[in-house]
Amino acid sequence: MEELKYILVFGLLHSSTYLAFSLGFSLILGVAKIPNLAYGVLYVLSGYVAYELMMSVGLPFYVAACLAVALTGVASLLVGEATIRPALKNPVGVFITTMSVAYILEEYFKMSMGLKPVTLPLLPGTVSVAGIPVSNQWILVVSVSLAMTLALVLFLRRTDTGMAIRAVAESWEESLRLSINPLRVLRVTLLLTGLYAGMTGVLLAPLKALTPSAGWAPLFAAFAIVILGGVGSIVGTAIASVIYGLVEQAVTFTLGSGLARVVPLLLIVVVLLLRPHGIMGRGE
Amino acid sequence: MFARASIAKKVLRLLHGLLAALALLLLPLLGLRGYWLDVLTRVNLFLLLTLSLDIYSGTTLYLNLGIPFIAGSAAYTLALLNVYQKVPLEVAIAPAVGVAILLSFLIFLPSLRVRGIYFSIMSLLLPIIAAGIVTSQPFSLYLGGEGGLSYPALLYSYARTLPARERLPFLQLSYYYISAVAAVVAYALTYKLAYSDLGFAMRAIGQDEVLAEGTGIDTFRVKVVSFLVSSALASVAGALYAAMRPPLTVDILIPANTLVPPLTAVVVGGMGSIVGPAIANYLLMLIYELLWDVVGRWRTVIYMVILIAMVIAKPQGVIFSLYLKARSYVTNKIRAPRT
Repeated sequence: MEELKYILVFGLLHSSTYLAFSLGFSLILGVAKIPNLAYGVLYVLSGYVAYELMMSVGLPFYVAACLAVALTGVASLLVGEATIRPALKNPVGVFITTMSVAYILEEYFKMSMGLKPVTLPLLPGTVSVAGIPVSNQWILVVSVSLAMTLALVLFLRRTDTGMAIRAVAESWEESLRLSINPLRVLRVTLLLTGLYAGMTGVLLAPLKALTPSAGWAPLFAAFAIVILGGVGSIVGTAIASVIYGLVEQAVTFTLGSGLARVVPLLLIVVVLLLRPHGIMGRGE
Repeated sequence: MFARASIAKKVLRLLHGLLAALALLLLPLLGLRGYWLDVLTRVNLFLLLTLSLDIYSGTTLYLNLGIPFIAGSAAYTLALLNVYQKVPLEVAIAPAVGVAILLSFLIFLPSLRVRGIYFSIMSLLLPIIAAGIVTSQPFSLYLGGEGGLSYPALLYSYARTLPARERLPFLQLSYYYISAVAAVVAYALTYKLAYSDLGFAMRAIGQDEVLAEGTGIDTFRVKVVSFLVSSALASVAGALYAAMRPPLTVDILIPANTLVPPLTAVVVGGMGSIVGPAIANYLLMLIYELLWDVVGRWRTVIYMVILIAMVIAKPQGVIFSLYLKARSYVTNKIRAPRT
């Protein structure tokens, strides 16, 4: 019983971070129709930048975090301009170019930061959730993640830019007819997804150790979640994040953390075999 | 189905393969030894992976990123047969390839329903899942985990009868020849296939599957055949690699090691052309190895920058367009006196 409570609480806590991170990935996948493999390394970049700003420059956490997130947004835009836009017509090429960026940054981190895991200081104190002590950092993570999700929903539904993003995701050609400039939308999306990856990076850096190759695991999780939920469906992504988080924590508590990376992915392969376009996805 | 090729072109088609095969087989006689022989052995095996990716994904455009899973299944079957059932490596290669081909249908089956990016991502998830299983308890106890499964390498029992000083050169040279023969056979096979009627049908599926079906192509059969050839190539590469380079670790399942080099060779070489990816396979290795001498630890960074530049400069593949230019230049030279 106690175990079940742990699984539920930590599963939902993790789900919220997966949700915020996957939404960014889903957005760029929807607009550009290509997976941005550099998305995971942006998460690491933001963590390292925040770390350097706090440790070397001596800025307080919140200032360092904001600067790191802003910088990651700009980095995402630059990476996209350099590697996604020129190769848009060539999906396999984008696989190579974005992956190359990921390896370049990873290699650079290895040389400048070393292989030793790095963590940011935790927020002090804990609160009790259903009788389970949870670090205040988690509370911060969850509230910011949910706020980011809500903000994205409102942004996509209520603002002109948001609707333009949805139009381009629906059809690149049709949106041209509506006098939307898809390339500008792509730039906005790149900036926005950079902010989402960066935000998750600085928030999770105190909880999860940061290494140069730490970006791949969340990237694959985001991959799996977005595919499971159906590309472009926020509700689907939310459901998939909860499933992923709960299954991951359930496996961690029962079979160990090694298999916890595997079982959710396996589950997703099975679900996809039954529903090829994801839970909420539509067929072509 | 193709326009009739001129005699000069036909000769050139044969010639480029023969010349490459000859070069591969003669290199050790010209004094290639030690480190570079090892590197070339590895790259010969990588040619099998490159061709495996190109013959299925390059032509039908079902991007199968599960190559590490196929190669890894063959490698682990081979190692497990040897370690637990004491089957000699030379014998275990055949069942290992068979099991890997069977398992690879796990990747193929979804492709009957799922196309495009969904299929690619799903096929990419399989090697990652397999790598996770291999390294986590309780499976890692039997599969060697991070430390790997160890067993005596291929031909080692024979090499042991040689004087100690000759053992390593003997193994290096025999591994090299095995890999070179495998590479030549694989190239001849895929080249023949890609430029046959079946290859034409594969490309038709890549361009428009519904239309291809409409013109009377049995798309299912074509896909199965090319997928079988593709997974056979990847399995042979995996089995040979495991036999030559114990201990077998999880590294073979990691996409960065066994997917990225073939994938870059295919894209830089020109998808579906077989010739381009094959040249790119060797050329990229040469660049990567030589960069170490020039830029030292910055090699990965510089290499990746070169890759990005190549893909952006010529999305259809740098190498194949260069090859076509060179070929038409040569054929024009041959034909010129007659006109």
